[in-house]
Amino acid sequence: MSGILVVDDALFMRVTLRKLLAEAGFEVVGEADNGRAAVERYRELQPDLVMMDITMPEMDGLAALRQIRSMDSHATVIMCTALGQERSVKEALKSGAADYIVKPFKAEKVVEAVRKALPGGRRP
Amino acid sequence: MKAEFINPFVTAGIEVLESVIKSRPESGQLAVRSATFTTQQSSIVIGVTGAVRGHVVYGMSLVTATKVAAAMSSTPPMTFDELASSAVAELGNMISGNAAGLLARAGYQCEITPPTLVRGANIEVSTTTPALVVPLYTDLGKIEINVALEETSAAS
Repeated sequence: MSGILVVDDALFMRVTLRKLLAEAGFEVVGEADNGRAAVERYRELQPDLVMMDITMPEMDGLAALRQIRSMDSHATVIMCTALGQERSVKEALKSGAADYIVKPFKAEKVVEAVRKALPGGRRP
Repeated sequence: MKAEFINPFVTAGIEVLESVIKSRPESGQLAVRSATFTTQQSSIVIGVTGAVRGHVVYGMSLVTATKVAAAMSSTPPMTFDELASSAVAELGNMISGNAAGLLARAGYQCEITPPTLVRGANIEVSTTTPALVVPLYTDLGKIEINVALEETSAAS
């Protein structure tokens, strides 16, 4: 089973993502509520994929993405963003993000993005 | 404050609310307030920086906030707990993020800060510019959008 790390400062988003990923057969192996915690959790858990919010306190998702990718150049990260944050999305993709999903999102879009991005097209 | 700064928030508010609560809100009459006060029991405050700066406050009654949170979570009516607070704060985040994108397309590149949920009415949110206010009427109750933004030298 593929292990996913969910990173979002909003408890609601973490709970929502955990639930919909679990329903699709994926395992959420950890959560973090800011970029700094995400980097620590990534180092500790070595998940197959990270769902990363962009706007967060302490360290935002872009900075966390860069740190994670500098630790592990094969890290697979999907950014979660509000519609219209094109500049941040472009920067994230340039920094190695595999894909992005736009909030408010539909469950099937999230699952599709995760399936596509998982290393080697892995399924749950 | 330019009246055009509130339009992206109203547009984004209607689109995001329609997506998350599955019914399209109607916007009400524009009003001006010389200062931003929370007029509702629960308010989400979000800062804006960049080509425009200031803040946006989304106000709603506790009953509406609880209903919105339940609709967002696809759960039966819930108590206004930590998860419900987080859902309502995230609603403000989604609307503001979408609005920031619309502002960027109009030449005002800006960023938003993470949301803060304020409980209680009549709390002043410090501002240097008058606030424009537009109510959105939804099936779950009224949501008031207060926008107090001013142009900075970073505007293109």
